[in-house]
Amino acid sequence: MTAILLVAIPAFGAGVGLLIRGKPHALKVCVLLVTIGTLGLIVMEGASGTLPEKPAALTLLALLPFAAFFTVLGQPAHRSLCAPWLLTLLLLGLGLGVLAYEAPLSLIFLFLVLALVGLLFFHARRRAGLDVRWGIGTIALGMLGVVIGATAGGPVSSIALAIACATALPLVPFHKSYVAALSWLPGNLPAFLAVLLPVAGYDGLVTVLPQLPEQVQDAAAILALMGMVYGSFKPFAQSRAASVVAYGGVAFFAIVWWYVLASRTAPVQTVVFMTAVALATSGLHLAWSMLRARFGDIALRALTGLAQPMPHFSIAVSLLAIAALGLPPFGVFSGFLGMLLAPSFAWSGRLAIILFAWLAASWYLFGLAQGLLFGRSRPEYRPGDLRLPELASLTIVLVLLAALGVMPFDFFGSDLGTQYQTVEMGSPLWNK
Amino acid sequence: MEISLVLAMLVLLLPLLASTIVLVGKPDTQYDRATLGVLPLASAFVAAVVTLVVVASQGPIGIRFYEPSSIARSALPLSFHIDRLSAVMTVLISGIGAIIYRYSVKYMYQEPGYRRFLALIVFTTFVLLCMVSSGNLVMLFVWWQLLSYLLALLAHNLSHAATFEGSFRTFTFLRLGDVAFLAGIVLAHSLYGTIEFDELFARAAATPIALSPLPGVEMSGATAVTLLIFIGGMSKSAQFPLHIWLPPSLYAPTPVHALLHAGIINAGGFLINRLAPLYGLSSTTLHVAFVVGAVTALLGAAMMLAQNDIKKTLGFSTIGQMGYMIMECGLGAFALAVFHLIAHGLFKATVFLNCGNVIHKAREEPVLPPAAQATEERHFSRLTWSTGFIMSLLMPLIILFMAHGVLQIPILNAQGMVIFLFFSWVTSSQAILTLTRIRGVASWKVSVAMLLTLLFVMFTYLFAAESFTKFLYPDREAVASYFQAAALPRPLFDALVATTTLLIILGWFYLYSQSRGQTVRIPAWVEKIHIHLYLLFLNRLYLDALYAWFGRAVTRLASGLTISSRGRPL
Repeated sequence: MTAILLVAIPAFGAGVGLLIRGKPHALKVCVLLVTIGTLGLIVMEGASGTLPEKPAALTLLALLPFAAFFTVLGQPAHRSLCAPWLLTLLLLGLGLGVLAYEAPLSLIFLFLVLALVGLLFFHARRRAGLDVRWGIGTIALGMLGVVIGATAGGPVSSIALAIACATALPLVPFHKSYVAALSWLPGNLPAFLAVLLPVAGYDGLVTVLPQLPEQVQDAAAILALMGMVYGSFKPFAQSRAASVVAYGGVAFFAIVWWYVLASRTAPVQTVVFMTAVALATSGLHLAWSMLRARFGDIALRALTGLAQPMPHFSIAVSLLAIAALGLPPFGVFSGFLGMLLAPSFAWSGRLAIILFAWLAASWYLFGLAQGLLFGRSRPEYRPGDLRLPELASLTIVLVLLAALGVMPFDFFGSDLGTQYQTVEMGSPLWNK
Repeated sequence: MEISLVLAMLVLLLPLLASTIVLVGKPDTQYDRATLGVLPLASAFVAAVVTLVVVASQGPIGIRFYEPSSIARSALPLSFHIDRLSAVMTVLISGIGAIIYRYSVKYMYQEPGYRRFLALIVFTTFVLLCMVSSGNLVMLFVWWQLLSYLLALLAHNLSHAATFEGSFRTFTFLRLGDVAFLAGIVLAHSLYGTIEFDELFARAAATPIALSPLPGVEMSGATAVTLLIFIGGMSKSAQFPLHIWLPPSLYAPTPVHALLHAGIINAGGFLINRLAPLYGLSSTTLHVAFVVGAVTALLGAAMMLAQNDIKKTLGFSTIGQMGYMIMECGLGAFALAVFHLIAHGLFKATVFLNCGNVIHKAREEPVLPPAAQATEERHFSRLTWSTGFIMSLLMPLIILFMAHGVLQIPILNAQGMVIFLFFSWVTSSQAILTLTRIRGVASWKVSVAMLLTLLFVMFTYLFAAESFTKFLYPDREAVASYFQAAALPRPLFDALVATTTLLIILGWFYLYSQSRGQTVRIPAWVEKIHIHLYLLFLNRLYLDALYAWFGRAVTRLASGLTISSRGRPL
């Protein structure tokens, strides 16, 4: 019953919203109320213990309405944004379906999420060009993976599902859908999908993990290591903030892939890390969309010196950048350190690549924040500081990130690791 | 709650209160609030002094907010441990922090971002205090990282474009050290299963572990851990080749330098001292520290001599001094490194704060440089030279006698101590050589100054440093074991002693010849090398160019990933 409600409430909200789509203010209030209602239901069901028996279910389920809430809250009430808001509700319902149901229903919801994102890509293909076409191709592959995973059996099914998950929780070379979603979709959708796609992908990954053949897991772990390097280099050549942040996400989610595949476990620390990366990415996208609302889709180099004219924005972006690049007291740092200090982790030389990805983030994300906030101020742009809803939405992201950073890991759920066999990851070169 | 706990918490929290006072309120009262902020900071200093007395008499103070058994479940294992080392450091940091803040209140008045700057200065002091009081390795790392970010933030000066590049470089290089530090923590936890200091030291000492990071390369677990953590210390303490973040950061406002050079940059020395029992288990790491410190001290001093900017000169002087401090750690003289960092911190804070005044004054009263003065008449005083020469020659004997006979330091068993004493000989000889350049004073005055120098050096290096060592490390056996672990190979030890002696005697010979008006013949090839070296050091070993090239290479590589065949993105 709970699962049905979780899907139905946002879908119903989207239906009501469709009726008032000509009134942006009313629609915004409606969308916010629906997300609050959904969140309330999740919290109530979590308190009464009737949520699906998936590890960290409450954290992941609650995260989606939170994300929908703060991404919509930070947007101005404008007609052009009505469609993205309605789609947000629709995606929220489908995303909750992925998390709330077991297979095969969850696979149907995953298919629908990917199909909807694919449709959005299709709609945006002329405006965005080659990037989105790659995204369409990748998302089609993901959908095909879901279909094969649901219909075939044995290792083929698990491999196909893993590929589908890789299009959502980005893993090179299946990352283009994630990058395109975060870089080219309108309104709050990039910020919302920055949370929804990884969460859905992660849920699928931990479900499919026990069935994946060991050789495939090892091969995917190597892909993850390559993805870390690739995702760490790519931001240096980007001229749009959205792409910098998206590729940063690719590098950080590759850490999640590697950890889960190499250790054959998914301790709660990975949930904290994955969630925090998703939130930080979403927050930075949201901040960028606020700038886009003021100045248009401007190149990074053209926008500098915002620290003085936009003090609130500057503080929020500074803190988001700190969180995203893995500094305390935010969740990315705590989750990362927690993963490395967890009993399931054993020292290996591959740690160097993980740390490289972590270090590179300090380079491009600090550069991104520094470039926006400091440097020569440009009075010709006449920027106005954040309005209250915008500030509130970024504050919510920061509070969530801080909570992930300081709360004990047990608060976010139990380990998934007990389900799987734990193996020693240590390289033969490092022996005690 | 015990009074000692209250005191400890006051030391940590009062700067936070000061930061809040500065930040919260109307802009028109910001100067009054800034002035009021001095009060909590001064109180923190007083509390730190009292805490030091309490810790010295009653033992360490510990505050823990988690269960050690559930460390893997804690996101941030918050705890504080204030022992003698921490207490000494908190006195230094809170004292210098209060002075620098008081100075900044007037110095930065009416500058844009006045409140932000003052709040950041105080917050940095708070983070520094927390860092030196950390109760475990993870919390030490947490504060350590925050310091990296705060330093980069403080290095920004909105009205000065050069700080943009300087701040970026500061952060990226400090993060390089942070990553190595993190790798050290993960390895330590992986090998010994704990992040608590005492447990870690005990387990590392009780269970030696051999690692083979590369085929054919063997090292102990303690060596691997300490080497990784040492890289973290190298970046914060601006050790070669990770020092290049320091000179560009010098465009930041003067109070930032004072705090940086008096407090933040000492973090490397503190880190090694905090983990002294672990470092004492690894001769290899101590030798590496000795070499890195020695190279940094030499290069830092050489580059300092070639700079033509007052702040850069002071910056490179700090790099040299930090090299000296790390070298002391490499010699096993951990307490002396702390003694050095305190002395250097006080000295550099004073110099930088004065430097700010000089620059301000120069800007307010721009005058042409004074006309070249007539060359001073050269005096040659036989008394001065004889006193200086004899003092220089006698000093090693006196030092050895005092150390071995009076203080009963086991010199014969501690090479590190002998080398350290030789360095004290070099330092005092340099001071005496400088005094011989004084013109226009009667030679007896110079001779007395030389005698006083000798007394000062003896007192400082031997009595004060020895007492300080006893205070910080009451366990004599542990101190002896550190010296033992730092012992150098015999030929290297002999070569160092011989080279030092030779350099001092050559220095005297060169100066004596010059003062008598005699020409010292220097071969042409030596002159050529001298010019090349001067250019090399003037351009700071071209490391800035190398860094810029590396940045370009990364961008090229990233662009290469974007464009694949037929211009399509990969």
